[in-house]
Amino acid sequence: MKLLGMMLPLLVSLSLLSGCGEKEKFIVYGSPENEKEVESILKEQKYVDKTTVIQYDNSMLVAVQIKPWDKWKKAKLEKKLQKKFDEKYPNKKVFVSTDYKIFYEANKIKRDQVEDNKLKDKINELKKLAKEKA
Amino acid sequence: MEKEQYHQLEQNVTPKPPYFKNVAKAFFVGGLICTIGQAVSLFYIIFFNFTEETAGNPTVATMVFFAMILTGFGLYKKIGQFAGAGSAVPVTGFGNAVISAAIEHRSEGLVLGVGGNIFKLAGSVVLFGVVSAFFVGLIKYILVTLGVVSW
Repeated sequence: MKLLGMMLPLLVSLSLLSGCGEKEKFIVYGSPENEKEVESILKEQKYVDKTTVIQYDNSMLVAVQIKPWDKWKKAKLEKKLQKKFDEKYPNKKVFVSTDYKIFYEANKIKRDQVEDNKLKDKINELKKLAKEKA
Repeated sequence: MEKEQYHQLEQNVTPKPPYFKNVAKAFFVGGLICTIGQAVSLFYIIFFNFTEETAGNPTVATMVFFAMILTGFGLYKKIGQFAGAGSAVPVTGFGNAVISAAIEHRSEGLVLGVGGNIFKLAGSVVLFGVVSAFFVGLIKYILVTLGVVSW
């Protein structure tokens, strides 16, 4: 128990330190058009923690991770963000998801540098997956 | 000896239960079980085609499977003695309640023994879960039709 008492503050401070390590939090992949604009929209939202945006043809996949305490309102925030993007880009097909799976796969697409012809299939697959209910 | 006297005596003799220690044990063991559950959930999200929303079902099944193995080897009993509610509240406790009843009544036969007694302990959980879900759903449906809230 004494050891635990000594280790606990150490562990907490360590985890706090490592939590603050700066990583790239806003990633845009695909065509670089209006990259800055999308980034600024996402940065405006206080509840957004990390995002990966994939742009292709005329559509856009926005994978968002919400900050921990705001996760209670995840479904509502997702709808809100979707509405914001639909208003901003009325002639673009935007798909917003707060799901971890979509975020993970979007990062994988970026890491593996998936080519355009496969990208479309992959993203359609993800969209189908995100709409699936239990 | 009067009733009050006896009560007094009993109060003096019974040891004080270590509430704080018990709470701490339950907190950490329950937290550990939930951490394992989260790891299983992430495993399904990353290696299979499950989203955060759909990963819950296989995760629950896996956690109950773990509880089944631990119950069969008589280890869950020990965890339960140590952690109390910390091991009973997560879904593994529900699994333990179903499986230990099944094992206990195995000697009475498969149909009337296992089949009749498997939900002896956990049956009330299922019943009240289903009934309360029905009423919550009904209330929400009424509120939505009245236009108070949206889905």
